[in-house]
Amino acid sequence: MGLLTILKKMKQKEKEVRILMLGLDNAGKTTILKKFNGEDIDTISPTLGFNIKTLEHRGFKLNIWDVGGQKSLRSYWRNYFESTDALIWVVDSADRMRLSDCKKELHALLVEERLAGATLLVFANKQDLPGSLTAPEIREALDLNSIKTHHWLIQDCSAVTGENLLNGMDWVVNDIASRIFTMD
Amino acid sequence: MADWKGTIDVSHGMSDDHKPGVAERLQRREEERLATVRRRREEQDGLDDKVQESLQSFLEILKFERLSLEKSLAESSTLERSKLIDHFDSLSLRVQKLQRNVSESALFLPPYELKTAQNVIVLLQSKIQETRDQLLPKKKFTFSKKQNKNGSGFDSKHTKDVEKNLDLAISKSASTKSDDDLVVEFAACKFVDRTSETLQKNANEINQKDIALVNLSNCTVLLYGAPSAIHINKLNRCTIFCGPVPGSIFIRECIECTFVLACQQLRIHSTTNSEFYIHVTSKAIIEDCNKVKFAPYNWKYETLEEDYTATGLSKQRNNWDKVDDFNWLATGVHSPNWSVIPSPDRVTSWKI
Ligand SMILES: Nc1nc2c(ncn2[C@@H]2O[C@H](COP(=O)(O)OP(=O)(O)OP(=O)(O)O)[C@@H](O)[C@H]2O)c(=O)[nH]1
Ligand SMILES: [Mg+2]
Repeated sequence: MGLLTILKKMKQKEKEVRILMLGLDNAGKTTILKKFNGEDIDTISPTLGFNIKTLEHRGFKLNIWDVGGQKSLRSYWRNYFESTDALIWVVDSADRMRLSDCKKELHALLVEERLAGATLLVFANKQDLPGSLTAPEIREALDLNSIKTHHWLIQDCSAVTGENLLNGMDWVVNDIASRIFTMD
Repeated sequence: MADWKGTIDVSHGMSDDHKPGVAERLQRREEERLATVRRRREEQDGLDDKVQESLQSFLEILKFERLSLEKSLAESSTLERSKLIDHFDSLSLRVQKLQRNVSESALFLPPYELKTAQNVIVLLQSKIQETRDQLLPKKKFTFSKKQNKNGSGFDSKHTKDVEKNLDLAISKSASTKSDDDLVVEFAACKFVDRTSETLQKNANEINQKDIALVNLSNCTVLLYGAPSAIHINKLNRCTIFCGPVPGSIFIRECIECTFVLACQQLRIHSTTNSEFYIHVTSKAIIEDCNKVKFAPYNWKYETLEEDYTATGLSKQRNNWDKVDDFNWLATGVHSPNWSVIPSPDRVTSWKI
């Protein structure tokens, strides 16, 4: 049995996945995490560091890492890449002025060796705001169609209303499961 | 003051098994889970371990290493000349090891402590070089760029580069001038490219909308209502008033402005010489700012109370003076970039 097989078996038994949630500051990462977990979202401050949450979802144990997106923190992102099964990239769909920043940061991540093979979910967040761009518009702006290296999906959502958070998470878990837990 | 921090929260997520009477079982499961997490940590990649590593012990090791290196260095002059090369090489190696240690610890080190640690290393490296030049003058060390890149060499130019890079990595971040290649229309609700005007919007125009204020100079903006979010960019000598915002207000590149705002989050970037009269229920943060001053929100307009109620923004909780400076994470030392406006200097009634 190869090492990879053993690792896969180990993971399979635990059904544990590691999810890294990144995006520009103010995108709504922490709000998504807390909303998904049914917590209060009114008291969230900008993240000075990171949050880790372990929660159970559809029989899987999700270890979700939410790392602060302020410019001064982005150089630390790479410290969290190792063993990532899925990357969730969160976008403030109403922040039209920083879309190219957003695109640049995302594409820089996708060439990272340690993220190779990770499932990519893009949350087009803040859809409750009337001025927000739609998921297809975000897909265009971030040039997602050019991504050939990762399985990806863009999902519109709102962390405030909770709309479509579950859909996105389900897709992530299914995609990882189909890659990793299909042994035997 | 703020710390670089991580919270680790193990919970049951979406499941609803928090029924009374099973507290004990839950507790046991929780402990088991924690134990698994602990075990997993060792198995996994050691990353989580680093998260847990104590800052204190790191700083102690750093201090110990520094003292011991300095001691060895001081003893250099007592050594035979033939042993000096090996001696200095081994000292350099130790500093390199320390450097690697610091890099690996970047995960849990607050930026300020990281910078301090890097400075210690830079200092040690230059001290070694200095002593080496003194005691081995013939074999003068001039390093090629290549060697410097490998981290094996050191000179004063390198010191500066290291510091510059550090500054870049820690306080300044890459230029923001990347917006140009992508032209996207602003949202419907906005004021863009205006000079010397009084601009205003009423509740029915802005309630529950997101608003953009871009490229304004010498303007007064009055937003009589409760938008859901605001993006502000490139204002010069403007005064901005707004009712309660249940989401965030994002401000970039403003100079000599006054803001009177109520919101859940206030994020201020690359802004200088400006005053903020604010009501923030979570926390205001600044990044790449200086000379920004804060006071409590004190704007009043007819439907203010209604707007508070409608948005659900807590009137009681106001953290106007708890500002996190993302470029100044030292514990116990106040950031030089922001201050509180002393009571006598505050504007008490706004003439509009
Ligand atoms: N209207 C609206 N506001 C949202 C939504 N999601 C998040 N927000 C608001 O956006 C602001 C930023 O949310 P955070 O969750 O703190 O953003 P973040 O991505 O974690 O930011 P950093 O921690 O700085 O990286 C907060 O004021 C949230 O209330 C959403 O779906 N709709
Ligand atoms: Mg956050």
